[in-house]
Amino acid sequence: MRPSIHVALTRRALLLSAAAPLAMALPAAAAANVAESFVDDNIHKGLEILRDKKLNTVQRRDQFETLLLGLVDVRRIALFTLGQYRRTAPPEDVDAFVNAFKNYAAAAYQSYFAKYTNQTLKVTGSTERSPTDFIVQTLLVEPNSNQPPAEVDFRVRTDTGKPVLVDVAYQGIWLSLEQRDQFVAFLGQNNGNVRTLIAHLSELAVNLAKPT
Amino acid sequence: MGLCGLVLAGCATAPASPEALAANDPYEQTNRDMLKFNAKIDKYFVIPTVGVYFLLVPEGGRRGVHNFLGNLSLPTIFVNDMLQGELSRAGKSMWRLVINSTVGIAGFWDPASKIGIPGHGEDFGQTLAVWGAKEGPYLVLPFFGPSNPRDATGLMVDTAMDPTNQIPIKQHLWWAAGREYFTLLDLRAQTYQTIQGIQRNSVDYYSSLRNFYRQFRNEQIRNGRNRAQDLPDF
Repeated sequence: MRPSIHVALTRRALLLSAAAPLAMALPAAAAANVAESFVDDNIHKGLEILRDKKLNTVQRRDQFETLLLGLVDVRRIALFTLGQYRRTAPPEDVDAFVNAFKNYAAAAYQSYFAKYTNQTLKVTGSTERSPTDFIVQTLLVEPNSNQPPAEVDFRVRTDTGKPVLVDVAYQGIWLSLEQRDQFVAFLGQNNGNVRTLIAHLSELAVNLAKPT
Repeated sequence: MGLCGLVLAGCATAPASPEALAANDPYEQTNRDMLKFNAKIDKYFVIPTVGVYFLLVPEGGRRGVHNFLGNLSLPTIFVNDMLQGELSRAGKSMWRLVINSTVGIAGFWDPASKIGIPGHGEDFGQTLAVWGAKEGPYLVLPFFGPSNPRDATGLMVDTAMDPTNQIPIKQHLWWAAGREYFTLLDLRAQTYQTIQGIQRNSVDYYSSLRNFYRQFRNEQIRNGRNRAQDLPDF
């Protein structure tokens, strides 16, 4: 059973989400609560989909992808991971990359979270980096384990009027930073050709979607 | 010295690309070659041994080995806690050493964690970072893997300060070899799935590993504090 503070946060989030466009104008504490509730509600929804034994593989993948793409600002993350090549790549290549990244991210996130379906995530607090930029801290608790719970942080931006997820960190290691280093290195070895990266990402997304 | 010479000899060969320089990895090509060499060692020597280890030693036994090796590192962790001015953490390391070496029977069990004193890592590379030393260029060391001049120096200092390395020379060679062998087995057994996951999800495994290593070390140096600092805007 989740602690009662989460129930209170959820109720508060429901009230606040009705006024989502006003989130930027909210006092810092309320905005932080919006970010925490956003993570708390949606991560549990995601884990419930992954745990649902009534769904077949395709249904599970589709439902998880739909939920994820509604929460994550894919375009913002994709452009970040292109590093300096974002400025030099043709606009049509950038758009095609964002689309390929979307498929890759959905497969990669599902692959990450599928490992944690037996664990529970508890929101423990948040840090405000700016009035529209929050790090929501959670603990990943594994039942019947004597290991300390793993720390999973979610970066939530609210500058577009509604909370969106832009990054996730496991024990302090941020996924988008790691992806940016990989993509920039790959592009550096391939004459900055974004189309090569798109082809590689598409292939990787297909492989990730296959059962291990 | 031999390892350093091998690394530096390779460093002089190819000019660094702008991306490599931007990533503070001027010896990238040498590092990539070294990663391939380490991967071969891993594939042909380490992984088969890990398989045998999993077959012969049950999970409880592997946990005992992991606890024992962790207990052996506690004097070094304690010294580094002190050198970093982390007195509270130093106290925890001391209590862990006392409790696990006695009640935990030479460290094979970990009763300290059960009473709320979980373990933590520290090493001289982290101490140098706390004292203000920069990491320097990225290096992949033969056998040891991802590193940098600061962490490689720390590795040597930790080895020199480890009290178990003061055992007289005849026994020491067997002791040191056995300990390193089991440390490698334990590390590979613990990280097998993680490494597989990184390889499977990576567009470029080398740069993925480089980034993981740097973020992981920074997290260790911060002791998990101030995680929200120094993040880029996007």
